[in-house]
Amino acid sequence: MSMNPTLETNETYMYQFERVKKSARMKSFIKGMLFLFPSILLFSVFVFYPMFKTIYLSFYLTDAKGSTTVFVGLENYLNMFTNPIFLQSIKNTFLFVFYTVPPTVLISLFLAILANENLRGIGLFRTIYSSTIGISVAAASVFWLYLFNPTMGLLNKFLEAFGGEPVGWLTDPAWALLSVSVTTIWMNIGFTFLILLGGLQSIDRSLYESAEVEGSGYFYKLRRITIPMLSPTLFFVITVSMINSFQTFGQIDILTQGGPANETSLIVYSIYREAFVNYQFGSASAQAVVLFILILVMTVIQFKLGERRVHYQ
Amino acid sequence: MKKLIMIFSLGILFLLSACAGENSASGNSSQSTGNKNSEAGTKDGKQVVTFWHSMGGAGQETLNSIVEDFNNSQDKVQVNAEYQGTYDESLTKFNAVAGTDSAPTMIQTFEIGTMSMINSGNIIPIQEFVDKDGYDMSGLEGNITNYYSLDGKFYSMPFNSSTPVMYYNKDAFKKAGLDPEKAPETFEEVEEASKAIVKSNPNMKGFALQAYGWLWEQLLANQGALLLNNDNGRTDTPTKIGWTEKEGKSIFEWVKRMVDDGTFANYGTNGDNMVAGFLAGDVAMFLQSSASARDVIDNAPFEVGIAFLPYPEDQERQGVVIGGASLWMIDGKPKEESKAAWEFMKYLQTPEVQAKWHVGTGYFAVNPAAYEEDVVKEAWAEKPQLQVTVQQLQSTKSSYATQGALMDMLPQGRKIMETALETVYNGGEVDQAYKTAVQQFNDAIEQANKARKK
Repeated sequence: MSMNPTLETNETYMYQFERVKKSARMKSFIKGMLFLFPSILLFSVFVFYPMFKTIYLSFYLTDAKGSTTVFVGLENYLNMFTNPIFLQSIKNTFLFVFYTVPPTVLISLFLAILANENLRGIGLFRTIYSSTIGISVAAASVFWLYLFNPTMGLLNKFLEAFGGEPVGWLTDPAWALLSVSVTTIWMNIGFTFLILLGGLQSIDRSLYESAEVEGSGYFYKLRRITIPMLSPTLFFVITVSMINSFQTFGQIDILTQGGPANETSLIVYSIYREAFVNYQFGSASAQAVVLFILILVMTVIQFKLGERRVHYQ
Repeated sequence: MKKLIMIFSLGILFLLSACAGENSASGNSSQSTGNKNSEAGTKDGKQVVTFWHSMGGAGQETLNSIVEDFNNSQDKVQVNAEYQGTYDESLTKFNAVAGTDSAPTMIQTFEIGTMSMINSGNIIPIQEFVDKDGYDMSGLEGNITNYYSLDGKFYSMPFNSSTPVMYYNKDAFKKAGLDPEKAPETFEEVEEASKAIVKSNPNMKGFALQAYGWLWEQLLANQGALLLNNDNGRTDTPTKIGWTEKEGKSIFEWVKRMVDDGTFANYGTNGDNMVAGFLAGDVAMFLQSSASARDVIDNAPFEVGIAFLPYPEDQERQGVVIGGASLWMIDGKPKEESKAAWEFMKYLQTPEVQAKWHVGTGYFAVNPAAYEEDVVKEAWAEKPQLQVTVQQLQSTKSSYATQGALMDMLPQGRKIMETALETVYNGGEVDQAYKTAVQQFNDAIEQANKARKK
């Protein structure tokens, strides 16, 4: 018994339709890949390859040139968590993020709100507030190094002038991490300020106008309009600052070299030490992998928690 | 919008993590300059030699003028001296380019890098050139030969050698009622002198010790203690530390007592700040390489005394280990190029050059004949302190302890001791800090041996 002819035609038709759809999809996939090819190539060379190589190295011991010698499996990872220097660097890193991110964002927000007013000569202040964006980490660190100098540093001269005791800014464990944090906050304010100011400028004026018609005060507007409308920008700035803080290296290398007694040794600095002073590329790679996972987790958590409060237009 | 921001942040995350590899990139810039030179090979018919060194400040000036003299003295070889940062940085860069065309013809590496250079297999032992050329190495200072020859074989050419000395402020000594011509010799005398100085001038601290692993090694050697077992790694590969608890702890306890007395000035790991503090009259005594002698004497507004390294009262002074660096011939270069570099190395050993070097920096002359040169005699008459560094070296008793340690993990070991010292400077317990340091030191030795598959 033959099949129902109508159904058969229909099936053939469906089949052909599927095939055409499939080939169209294939075509658009290839087209898409062609467009993506340059960035895939660049990412592979500069991001993915180093990343996989890092993971590969983290399972080995290496010689001074970085070529692998002995396969040790997970040993590099296990040793890491009993290594007091690395554990301290994790603690320091979290403290450092805590010391730098909230103050940077708050200060920049404050400055951005001030600089958002339309006054004569406000351009000058905007330039000043954002000027640190143009200073390299190395230059800024050297500049602060002189301020912190125990003998001829300006900060200690001030303290002495007011009858205070000189402080070992970079040598006293109680101060060292704070000193580096202050430096970092100062350096990051420029960038954060600029992004936040941009966010403020793009808020629709009509919102303020209608609020003014209703007679709301300055702080009411700030709380109910400015902050909610700025929340996507704030969220972006917080995420980026945090990632930045996690990866701080330059100022540590120049200001303290991780001292006193590893009090300012952050994870990235610890990786550098391990790889380029101790020539242990294996354990350095393992630390790098842990840093990557840490930042990834922190960012995901931030997206899960922070996003709920963000108001997108 | 939401998606966009998420994608953007992720992109930044990736980019930033890629930036973490920046360090290696900084090595590349200098690589390319090295490359240019070795590709050039010959310039105006001259054989080009690329020389990587780590001399900054006064050392760089003097070295550059020596290189210039050499280039002008003959028309066959052109030496290009390139400053590559500190020894650590330079060694890192070298490891990245070793075996390629970008590698220099010769490189200056610090004494503790000796073992890792030999292990790297990228070098030609100097002994080969010595034998071929029939060059006489016996003119060199005995203690230097001790350090740099292994089983009677020279792997590198000694060049700049220094020892640690104690600098002190003679004016401050006078003010405190101490004899400025008689510097404290033992740990205990240093403590007493520090107390007297703080008493006479509450704004001045007595003594400063930079948290620098090299100084710690020297204070250890001065007691006759070994850094590593198996005779400081000279008879066999070391397997653990070589000092006893009493010897190791004596240094920490000495520092601790001064910290408790309030006579100790803490400059952390920063040597420049310490020298600046000394010159500004914040501290009366400090330990530092004799290589800074010229700088300190010239810049101090008061009279500077230089003395031998102190030692614990109940021990005898054994002397110091050679510090500084030597020159290495890199393997895989054209024969003519290596030969030209060898000519330059020989030039550096001549008494005239060594005299100039000694007077210009405070490194002592690896070739004692230099002390007979007029330049040196004049300088010594004017600045008798320069002589102390030579006397200290010559009074050193030769033993495994003062020959110095050999192993490839020594840079790491230094960092470990620096951390321990800093812990004590900042009020940490001696026992705890010492125990942790010894544990880490042993672990590092074990790890290094493991990585070498031995």
